[in-house]
Amino acid sequence: MQTLAPLTKLLLTVFVTVWAIMLQSIPALTILIVCQFAALAASKVGSNIYKGVASLFIFAAMLAGIQYVFNSDITLAAVTALKMVAMTLVFFILLATTRMQDLSTALVTQCRVPYEYAFMLTAALRFIPDFLAESKAIQEAQACRGFSSRGNPFTRLTSYMAIIKPLVLRAISRSETMALSLELRGFGNKKARSFSTNVALTSYDYISLALMFAITIYVIIRQLSIF
Amino acid sequence: MPAIALENFNYAYPNCDKTLDNISLSIAKGSFTVLLGPSGAGKTTLCLAVAGAVPQYFGGSLSGTVLVDGKPAKDTPMSELAQSVGIVLQDYETQLVAMTVEEEAAFGLENLGLSRSQINLRVKEALKKVGLAGFEKREVTALSGGQKQRLVVAGVLAAAPKILVLDEPASALDPEGTTELYQLLGDLNKQYGITILAVEHQLGDVLPHADNFILLENGKNIQTGSPEQVLSYMRKEQHFAEAIPPLYQLKLTLEEKTGISFSSWRCECDAIAEISKCLQKGVYLSA
Amino acid sequence: MLELKNVSFGYKSQLSVLSNVSLRINSGDFLAVIGRNGSGKTTLTRIIMALKKPSKGEVLFDGQNAKKYSAADMARHIGYVFQNPDRQFFRETAAQEVAYGPEQLGYTTAQIADFVKDALSATGLSHLADAYPQALSKGEKQRLAIASALAMQPKLLILDEPTSGQDALEKQRLMKLLVKLNQDGMAILLITHDMDLAAAYPQRAIVMNNGTKAFDGKVSELFSNAHQLSKWGLTEPAALKISRGLISFGVEQTTSANELSHHLIKLLGRTTHADASTAN
Repeated sequence: MQTLAPLTKLLLTVFVTVWAIMLQSIPALTILIVCQFAALAASKVGSNIYKGVASLFIFAAMLAGIQYVFNSDITLAAVTALKMVAMTLVFFILLATTRMQDLSTALVTQCRVPYEYAFMLTAALRFIPDFLAESKAIQEAQACRGFSSRGNPFTRLTSYMAIIKPLVLRAISRSETMALSLELRGFGNKKARSFSTNVALTSYDYISLALMFAITIYVIIRQLSIF
Repeated sequence: MPAIALENFNYAYPNCDKTLDNISLSIAKGSFTVLLGPSGAGKTTLCLAVAGAVPQYFGGSLSGTVLVDGKPAKDTPMSELAQSVGIVLQDYETQLVAMTVEEEAAFGLENLGLSRSQINLRVKEALKKVGLAGFEKREVTALSGGQKQRLVVAGVLAAAPKILVLDEPASALDPEGTTELYQLLGDLNKQYGITILAVEHQLGDVLPHADNFILLENGKNIQTGSPEQVLSYMRKEQHFAEAIPPLYQLKLTLEEKTGISFSSWRCECDAIAEISKCLQKGVYLSA
Repeated sequence: MLELKNVSFGYKSQLSVLSNVSLRINSGDFLAVIGRNGSGKTTLTRIIMALKKPSKGEVLFDGQNAKKYSAADMARHIGYVFQNPDRQFFRETAAQEVAYGPEQLGYTTAQIADFVKDALSATGLSHLADAYPQALSKGEKQRLAIASALAMQPKLLILDEPTSGQDALEKQRLMKLLVKLNQDGMAILLITHDMDLAAAYPQRAIVMNNGTKAFDGKVSELFSNAHQLSKWGLTEPAALKISRGLISFGVEQTTSANELSHHLIKLLGRTTHADASTAN
């Protein structure tokens, strides 16, 4: 999975979504999910991804339960849940096996997404750990002033302002500094931007894409012949 | 041609009073200049003016000229100025945008549209200069404070600027880290001829490397000259004299009270050598 | 007042951040905690403040084990001033900001008003009581953070690098404030990289090196061994380095530039006098 180019994986996401929408039978959707799971396992991703996948399954089961309560049609509920899992699992694969930088490069050079938007994506991911660290630091600072999260939900919410307000102010101030720093490093350059990472497609990618096309055609024919 | 020249430069941020008041100064190529003065004197604003951010990024009103590497900072696009001037802001953590060391160093070059091979070459050079060679694949979040600081310097160095501006670069570093950083800047200055403009409060840390001091207060250029000249002025006029580093407090007091004239000390070793000579003469005579 | 007994602290993957540290802080102490970045200085103070619990050993406050205390509990007795005061400001005026601490501790409105007034006056910020905290200068913000801590009536004040990034005037002002607070009975624990400050104001110094307490004693004793200082990543104050280099001329060791100049003037005065007398 890691060796595939980001563009291939993006297209895979699109294809899998199409397949998940088109397939209606429980066995077919289950096969799709199992294949994705196998791909994930073969990619040797970290254990937190599996935690996320587990939450996905739980959420899907809850969704199925709610639908069953309203429709009393167990098949429909199961199919909806399986479709959801199939469509979402592929995103996990995409994000777990692709480096943000490479994804951003692919979006800009191969998908014609303007650089500013792709950058927003990578910057957001880059700053999540900083943001979490910042909120922890603020919590500590306020704890040293006697802040503690106790009392009824309403008082707890108002007391949390002591954490949220400085966090928001800090986020704004950091983004201002970052914007200035980006300009100073030539971010707003009108000329074309270059990319140091290589996201070109290899023969492996073309073969995979051909395979995906073939499967899509097969699914379409099969669905049509069913009707 | 000086590296940086300001002539009658006045600047006010939008809806504010003047931050810089009729500043005229000239910084020679290859000099190591230190900008000093009380908080609020306009030091950061002056640095931003050199990089073109003032007024291009902030707006506001100005008069007078700022010439950087011969180009007018007001009219030259910031991305073009970025090839002549590299600036390291105070909050350097926020300047780091990438996930790995090499991506960070390459960022500025990507913005300028250089080819991949050129980028790889320049990144290697820049990392070598700051002593981070071999750290290419390291994650930025895994670096120490001192290493992050050096990475920021590498990021601006990669564009091969002729001028490097740093706003209080050592504020988050311990004494060892500070000495190393200023040693790095001193080396860049001497070996590669890069003009350095640094804002610093702890003047003792820059004395070994600086050849030019600019004292700013209330937006005005109070005194410019060699460290010796400016520190003597501060002592004589009791102007921000609290900032005189202990080395010079000693020197100026000794010169005042004994009438002996010492050379320009750069470090404690200079002081020890010269004072020893004076004391030896005396011992010889009294014997 | 406060005692650490054989405190150790570490994370799963790292080596020990703190190893077997024991120390005592008495009321009225004025001590500096110094050492490299990463030596354990900050972790030490955070354990004192109960922001972290020791992995081994115990923290005793007024003889009681502080195991069950949280940082908010310790805030009644210890004021912690962080390096970046920007992080904690969230109210409209400086006075309201200072009032936050005592409010959390449950004091009455009248008491809070008194504490705020006193804290602002002690830190020289009374004229800025209605100012918007984010608009203050760096030095003023730092003093506002100190005022916020003072308003909670602590007996010990811990400050993490309060003078970093401040100009020389602000530094002096801050140190004068700390000296006055100490004279009025407050214990002060100052984490600092500034060796000149550490030499001039506190009486006692603790040096942290690689997670262990490498030195705990009088500041004057600390600076008597230059070789050790560099081992711990510390620099010598300029005056000390110079007086050491001139030791063969009978120059007294001192960390104060002022004292050193007095000594040298006497010695040099004699030599210039001798110069003049032989000339005659």
